[in-house]
Amino acid sequence: MKELLATVKENKPIAKGIWSITLALPEPVGKIKGGQFANLSVGDASYPLKRPIGVCSVNGPDVTLCYQLKGDGTHKISQAKEGDKLSVLLPLGNGFDLGDAENIAVIGGGVGIFPLAAVIEEHAGKKNFRSYIGFRGKEYACLTEKFEKGGSLTIATDDGSIGFHGNAVQAFLSDYENIKCDLIISCGPPVMLRALKSALKERGIAVKCLVSLEERMGCGIGACLVCACKKSDGHNARVCKDGPVFDINEVEL
Amino acid sequence: MVNLSVKICGVNFSNPVIAASGTFGFGREYNELYDISAVGGVSTKGLTLEPRTGNPVPRIAEGKSVILNAVGLQNPGVEEFIKNDLEWLKSKTTVIANVAGRTLEDYEKICARLDGLVDMIELNISCPNVRAGGMALGIKPANVEEVTKLCKAALEKTPLIVKLSPNVESIAVNAQAAQRGGADCISLINTLTGMVIDIERRKPIIANNTGGVSGAGIMPIALRMVYEASHAVTIPVIGMGGITSGKDAVAFMMAGASAVQVGTANFTDSYAIPRIVKEMEEWLSAHGIKDVNEIVNTLKLN
Ligand SMILES: Cc1cc2nc3c(=O)[nH]c(=O)nc-3n(C[C@H](O)[C@H](O)[C@H](O)COP(=O)(O)OP(=O)(O)OC[C@H]3O[C@@H](n4cnc5c(N)ncnc54)[C@H](O)[C@@H]3O)c2cc1C
Ligand SMILES: Cc1cc2nc3c(=O)[nH]c(=O)nc-3n(C[C@H](O)[C@H](O)[C@H](O)COP(=O)(O)O)c2cc1C
Ligand code: FES
Repeated sequence: MKELLATVKENKPIAKGIWSITLALPEPVGKIKGGQFANLSVGDASYPLKRPIGVCSVNGPDVTLCYQLKGDGTHKISQAKEGDKLSVLLPLGNGFDLGDAENIAVIGGGVGIFPLAAVIEEHAGKKNFRSYIGFRGKEYACLTEKFEKGGSLTIATDDGSIGFHGNAVQAFLSDYENIKCDLIISCGPPVMLRALKSALKERGIAVKCLVSLEERMGCGIGACLVCACKKSDGHNARVCKDGPVFDINEVEL
Repeated sequence: MVNLSVKICGVNFSNPVIAASGTFGFGREYNELYDISAVGGVSTKGLTLEPRTGNPVPRIAEGKSVILNAVGLQNPGVEEFIKNDLEWLKSKTTVIANVAGRTLEDYEKICARLDGLVDMIELNISCPNVRAGGMALGIKPANVEEVTKLCKAALEKTPLIVKLSPNVESIAVNAQAAQRGGADCISLINTLTGMVIDIERRKPIIANNTGGVSGAGIMPIALRMVYEASHAVTIPVIGMGGITSGKDAVAFMMAGASAVQVGTANFTDSYAIPRIVKEMEEWLSAHGIKDVNEIVNTLKLN
């Protein structure tokens, strides 16, 4: 884990409202695991907080982050030009630990697909991934080739403009009887994760399920305790340091 | 070589830049980024007698050049701190225990428990207290004096810092109240109170609705308050509020602070404190000043 002044190599839109930024790191930061994230500076001192963004791809000294234009900070980041410098703190958090699992169901929605793409990149060829990724509609779809490389892919769209008409959880559930999986990994908006948790319970699906959570952050390294989430045992965990990946049964969603 | 070490109430700090309470935990996480013996001292996350789980999330929001927080004193409790972190932290740097309580008795007890174990104790009197009818003890001068007196009586060895809230009628009057109560030192400012609204949802971003404002944007207010407070008392002052550079720290010391604390800047730049120390040293040597203590309280008013 280091904070570095990285050089922007490329910063471009890849789908409607979604951008991809590639940063050249001036020195190695150690292994980056799928599901770990970076805290990216907006590059303007009037924004004191860095933005947590999942690492989407690692290529030698370059890391690529994909981000949705949401508020002022991400809009500002999209204005960074090739050659600009942005401060970045990484790698943060625990990432997905796939253990011995061989057949993995991947359920991603919205910006949640980006860290999942990194998991597939990390383990491609070694594990078998069955991915279900959801977008609002066709024009938002991106990175589908990355998921195809890991095994098979079902695209779901809210408006039915391509693929399965519905969300990623529904796509997974409709397919569940036909597939073999010994681990589920998921990342997406809180409503999606809640739907997944209750569906697993209702359908009596006992397969281990890891989910990556989102919370607003300060330090990003576990010191300030602003990013708390509630664990089922009543204790708090820090999303930035103890997570962002947790067993779905370990946390309240 | 510039001397950066300072001595406050007999306690040595290797340099005058201390990590502000609540932004640096007990130091372990920042120590993964750099050796925290580089910081002048650490003021711990606010400790209470019992463990606390804190406020609901979101606990943080951003404004222009400021942030807001409402962590709600989440901490493992003073006993866990003593058991797990104190010895390690002392081996690294000077330790200020930041403490809080719901009742006056809580403050007394936690001070007594930490007496002689830490280098200094800093009272956070900006949190809700039973004695002040659920308001912060730090608002009314009479409450400031009362809690200071009780804590001072509970301490035999460790010097007492009273951390002043800026949300008051007169910072000078409250600084004097702390001194009358027997404080060995005051620190200021704690956070201002503010709100950030998500207009699409017509709701405040922070779950608690309001939060404490900190960061670069509050610095002029903090500097004015440090100036007023330090001229109202004879005890040493530790200044903070929005420091992000060595020059900012120099300004606080000129205004009357014997040392400074840095909080929010750690979030913007994880290496903020060692950078600020280096920048101070560069400024001092560029100005031919051999000892940082020489700049304290040297402001010339117009
Ligand atoms: C571990 C983690 C991984 C993430 N990975 C990605 C990713 O790969 N791609 C992506 O597009 N987004 C990701 N997000 C969400 C992303 O952090 C927010 O969309 C982004 O911070 C919004 O910034 P803004 O300046 O545009 O919004 P603003 O609303 O202007 O931001 C104001 C403040 O709130 C914070 N904030 C707002 N929304 C969120 C949120 N959902 N989560 C955390 N902080 C938030 C900002 O960081 C900033 O501090 C991730 C979040 C977390 C916690
Ligand atoms: C996330 C966060 C948590 C804080 N927690 C505490 C605390 O527990 N006790 C306390 O006295 N001050 C607390 N503070 C206030 C800081 O110690 C400091 O007084 C304030 O942030 C102003 O300094 P800054 O602008 O450098 O951050 C906290 C501040 C932040 C940002
Ligand atoms: S962001 Fe500071 S503890 Fe998680």
